Amino acid sequence: MSAQVQRILVVDDAATVRMYHRMILEGAGYAVEEAFNGLEALEKALAEPYDLYVVDINMPKLDGFGFIRELRRQDLPQAPAVMVSTEAQPEDRRQAYEAGANFYLIKPIKPQELLSVCRLLLKTGAKA
Amino acid sequence: MGDVQISDEDFRKFREFFYRKTGIYFEDGKRYFVDKRLLERIEATGSADFRSYFTKLRFQASGEELQTLINLMTVNETYFFREEYQFKCLVESMLPEIVARKKPGSRIRIWSIPSSSGEEAYSIAIYLTEYWPPLAEWDVELISSDIDTAILERAKEGRYSARSVQALPLKILKKYFRNLPNGEYQINDDLRAAVEFTRVNLVDPADTRPYRGFDVIFCRNLLIYFDDLSRAKAAEVFYDALLPGGFICLGHSESMSRISSLFRVRKFPQAIVYQKPESS
Amino acid sequence: MPRDLAGLIQRLQDDQASVRRWAARDLAAFPEASQALVERLRRENDPGVREAIMLSLVQIGDRTAAMGLAECLRSDDAQLRNEAIEAMKLMPEAAAPVITDLLSDPDPDVRIFAVNVLESLRHPEVEQWLIDVIRRDDHINVCATAVDLLGEVGSATALPALAELKARFADQPYIAFAVDLAIRRIREE
Repeated sequence: MSAQVQRILVVDDAATVRMYHRMILEGAGYAVEEAFNGLEALEKALAEPYDLYVVDINMPKLDGFGFIRELRRQDLPQAPAVMVSTEAQPEDRRQAYEAGANFYLIKPIKPQELLSVCRLLLKTGAKA
Repeated sequence: MGDVQISDEDFRKFREFFYRKTGIYFEDGKRYFVDKRLLERIEATGSADFRSYFTKLRFQASGEELQTLINLMTVNETYFFREEYQFKCLVESMLPEIVARKKPGSRIRIWSIPSSSGEEAYSIAIYLTEYWPPLAEWDVELISSDIDTAILERAKEGRYSARSVQALPLKILKKYFRNLPNGEYQINDDLRAAVEFTRVNLVDPADTRPYRGFDVIFCRNLLIYFDDLSRAKAAEVFYDALLPGGFICLGHSESMSRISSLFRVRKFPQAIVYQKPESS
Repeated sequence: MPRDLAGLIQRLQDDQASVRRWAARDLAAFPEASQALVERLRRENDPGVREAIMLSLVQIGDRTAAMGLAECLRSDDAQLRNEAIEAMKLMPEAAAPVITDLLSDPDPDVRIFAVNVLESLRHPEVEQWLIDVIRRDDHINVCATAVDLLGEVGSATALPALAELKARFADQPYIAFAVDLAIRRIREE
């Protein structure tokens, strides 16, 4: 079992949401970095892959679905991804899982909810 | 001038806005650097305080103040072998892929824009000559463009200060340049002939229409100084200027993530670059 | 085929995406082309062509263009929706009248997108529109999006409404967080 701090990338075009998720996750001892959209997230992941991704759907240039699909295509260690969205349609949930997400949460997220999901995915090392 | 202060929240508010617009993020450690320049602009614009300056910055129709601020916040010096890892990427990763899909005897076309005083284009020419042995088997066309005709003339002359060449290994300097009596360096005629300098206004469709069929584009530290609409238009030009599978390199602090959704990110050992999809 | 308006509109329907894309690009010079571009956008699947159509609509910047882009906010295609938002942000003046209507759209997602577009609007009323949203909108995520922007463009005028919002969603830690942040930003603490 690694004693290294696990690195999480929070991807959302809204700064407040990124700050909120960062606060929750840093509070639990994770190392958190941010990206503004799926394309920036991809660039960061290619430079230094993360242990977990928390990804919004609606972002400019490359959205959450596009990011996860691209992530799964790339020759990278495959880390779990939590998709977050304001949408509540079953269609969106299905699309998220098909793109390669491991979990789907609806915003706004309560701290305990985000933490439980992240802990679970990081512990089991779940992959798509 | 009164006692204008930048509070912690002001700094964070500014930082988020700047990050959103440019992709550049100022760590807390850059506080002094940022505050100093903000205060400079607050004074220059006759703003009463940060709040009124920020309103101006955010809402000015021309976007001029933001461009001025970006200029202040970024370093825009040009010199030979600047961001050399991209030239390395060209010869070690991009060109091998490109030639693998080309018919022998066909041309390879590279576009460098802005040319500025020519350092980038000549750097590419030197790199290809020194570090890409297959150059002997391929016809490479190197075009470099700028909107400023005066600077294009300087680029064609190929005369440089000591400062401009200081990143060059000595053997390269000796091989491709000769010393001038005034302490400047003159790039040799073979290299001058290797680059075609042209005038182009990137946001003028009449100028850019003929620019097609390129394998690689270098556009470093230009788009960051454009407003959002001009950046989008420039990206449109670059996409259509590239062949399917062609590559484009931006400056190290620049990203397509604020500009266009059409390019694929490619990570090579030397650099991250963007590619026009091969199936387009 | 000449590259005049009629010829370009015809090329906009070509089988080849590269032909359609060039036609879309060249049509930016023809303000009368906005309807044809909007109609093509409704059916276009190629991302390169879509991007060119949207950029041309931005440059034409008339009401037809703004409404055509606003239509995309209702699409099931997330990529299309998000691109349309970005396009509308590039044409704030033309988008303004359309956006204000969308702020009271029955669909909360459309209202969220409308608030999103307000980010680039240089209208003196923007702060008041955002205050109205957080006072009247019953959907938490519409309010959350508005709060985020108020932190950046809000003034003391917004403080009472922000406090009321926090009380309204007292059980939502995200709203408390976002409101507190906006208040700190406005007060420049």
